[in-house]
Amino acid sequence: MAGAQAGSTRPMGSGLLKQIALFGGGLLVALLLDFTLDKAISDSSIRQLLMMAACNILVALSLNVINGMAGQFSIGHAGFLGLGGYSAAVVSANLHEALGGGEATFGKSFIVVPVSLLVAALLSGIAGLFVGLPSLRLKGDYLAIVTLGFSEIFRLVIATAQIGDKETIAHAWSSAGSPRGFVHAISVMITSLGGQNGYAGPKDAGVPLYAGPFWVVGLAFVLGVVAWRLKFSGWGRALRALREDEIAAAAVGVDPTRYKVTSFVISAVGAGIAGGLMAMNRDGTPIVQPDSYNFQASFDAITMVILGGSGSVTGAAIGGVFVTFTVKAIELLQSTSAVQALKQRFESLDLNALRMIIYAAVLIALMIVRPEGLLGERELFQKKAPSPAKAK
Amino acid sequence: MDLTLKNVTKNFGGLRAVGDVSFTVPDRSIYGLIGPNGAGKTTVFNLVTGVYKHDEGSIHLGKTDLRPLKPAEIARAGIARTFQNIRLFGQLTVIENLLVACEIDKKASLLSSVLRTKVHYEDESSMRDRALELLGVFDLAHTAEEPSTSLSYGNQRRLEIARAMMLKPKVLLLDEPAAGMNYGEAEGLKKQIRWLRDTFDLTVVLVEHNMQVVMGVCEEIHVLDHGETIAHGTPDQIRNDPAVLAAYLGEEADGTATLASDADAKAPSAKGDEASAKEPGAKGDEASTKGDEASAKGDEASAKGDEASAKDAKGDERGGKAGEGSS
Ligand SMILES: Nc1ncnc2c1ncn2[C@@H]1O[C@H](COP(=O)(O)OP(=O)(O)OP(=O)(O)O)[C@@H](O)[C@H]1O
Ligand SMILES: [Mg+2]
Repeated sequence: MAGAQAGSTRPMGSGLLKQIALFGGGLLVALLLDFTLDKAISDSSIRQLLMMAACNILVALSLNVINGMAGQFSIGHAGFLGLGGYSAAVVSANLHEALGGGEATFGKSFIVVPVSLLVAALLSGIAGLFVGLPSLRLKGDYLAIVTLGFSEIFRLVIATAQIGDKETIAHAWSSAGSPRGFVHAISVMITSLGGQNGYAGPKDAGVPLYAGPFWVVGLAFVLGVVAWRLKFSGWGRALRALREDEIAAAAVGVDPTRYKVTSFVISAVGAGIAGGLMAMNRDGTPIVQPDSYNFQASFDAITMVILGGSGSVTGAAIGGVFVTFTVKAIELLQSTSAVQALKQRFESLDLNALRMIIYAAVLIALMIVRPEGLLGERELFQKKAPSPAKAK
Repeated sequence: MDLTLKNVTKNFGGLRAVGDVSFTVPDRSIYGLIGPNGAGKTTVFNLVTGVYKHDEGSIHLGKTDLRPLKPAEIARAGIARTFQNIRLFGQLTVIENLLVACEIDKKASLLSSVLRTKVHYEDESSMRDRALELLGVFDLAHTAEEPSTSLSYGNQRRLEIARAMMLKPKVLLLDEPAAGMNYGEAEGLKKQIRWLRDTFDLTVVLVEHNMQVVMGVCEEIHVLDHGETIAHGTPDQIRNDPAVLAAYLGEEADGTATLASDADAKAPSAKGDEASAKEPGAKGDEASTKGDEASAKGDEASAKGDEASAKDAKGDERGGKAGEGSS
């Protein structure tokens, strides 16, 4: 029998116990973090940074399914993140009201977070299905344009809504019998998302921040394991084969249509969850804004995946952390007195632009030294396959 | 199961790549499909496997019409193939290349793979066992965990056959499997093809320019030129068929030499009578018309010449192992 390749064949027996130990252990650590993080790290901006890193790991992991494993090129990941973010914000805020408002307690989070994330994942997944369908006919640049189109349309539909008129959604729907009334009701719903100013709950009291470290770190861990297992499953193998050669893959019975569309849906579901967690992040801001989901966000996601190594799960995680910390490092740099002084002299100085320079420099350097990214397609903790036993 | 082509036609714009071709590959036979460069052999394979759809005619596997099926469905229906220009999954290891072909008869769902259920592990280990066994047959077991691109040219061709065999096909289409192989390797390939047919009870369709292999292993041969059928028969009949000789002669001295030299070795005159006795008149006419066309093909022939030498160069980096069928 063959030696085991990472994660694909492991000795059988006590499998269930191992699984319980794995997930139980991960979630336990997350649970401990939930109660101790506030005390251990008093600086809320550092906490925020850590939570952002965990969320960005999910962003990178989900994009890695399309851009890394399936070899498609999506530059519209922000659209799925935004869809997840807005859905989770709306659901959690309304659910919070329905539960009587008040404090966003840990206990209530076990109702609010799963429901919100489920809706976020579902809506994102459906969007993924529709964006994924063109991927059957389009390749490369053309597909990239479709994904970008999707994310920009999503963002602009929300950002350009005319706010001001305070009609309630219920009222609008009550007169939605005619096609015109229906369109009006839809537009009232979009308007209720707050346009450019952002959405902060039905009463503008802010999105309840239910997702503490337990949820953020716990889900990052669980979904990380899922991503790993997807890669080292028959499905992941078939997807990678499809990326290498579509005709040959079809010739051995791998239906390109099914695999491509599923990869888009799975990626979108992951992004929906990541976006939802970001929107409800306890250490985040209680508002979701369209500008968080602009092209820059998609580009950051691409940077994470390419930096870490397209197709590598651990690589994507490293990329997610790296990008998060770069953002933070520049923020810190920006608040130093030297930079502040410079800013007084040159008003248009924007250090956020520096981020692009750093990315560009790192990416260029990486492409020269390691064109396949930090890890390539390999994994950090991948067991080196033992030499295969001789076939009889 | 028989593979039947009836009046199959395929046009690429103004070019008739395959024109009105009909033949039946009998169940469990080793069937040769030959013809000069550009004759339409690969196109026939592409039509059978659904990469292209034929414009006219029909293709059946047993009673199943293949026209409405997608390539992946045709593969599932039992037709596996290799490619003239090797198409391996480059970033995947040798064994992974084979495992991809297992997706179709896998029991574990995507969800159970993610949950790593018992079914998943059983699936994986039985698939790996089968893959390793096949790799053993093709003398590739020791390369299982290497990237597939690190293999030599001849080994890559063998890996493609092994990958196709993972589908447990009823029909195996081989597109120039001997290209780039030396004499010894080609002899090994012949044995392997026979061994595969006998062991797995399958039908083999072989497209090949190497006459040593074609004449040595095929039971029946169909000859195309410019997309059209010019001859059909046993190796002995084909060897001396005037239309076939004209097609090869007119185009490429190389091919003719092989054909002729093989034919010479085996009492040419007697066979010649047989051929003409079986297919009287018609072939003679065709042969003369082909003769006129032959000069027009001159340009094409020289262009192909470069390709041929490129192939020879590749042959040098062969794997050194003839890799015979073993059990
Ligand atoms: N996709 C395509 N588009 C246009 N023309 C094509 C296409 N595929 C094949 N052809 C043409 O069809 C004809 C037959 O090609 P095919 O590849 O089937 O020949 P072949 O018999 O396999 O030749 P070879 O021995 O060189 O492999 C050639 O003239 C080729 O240029
Ligand atoms: Mg060909």
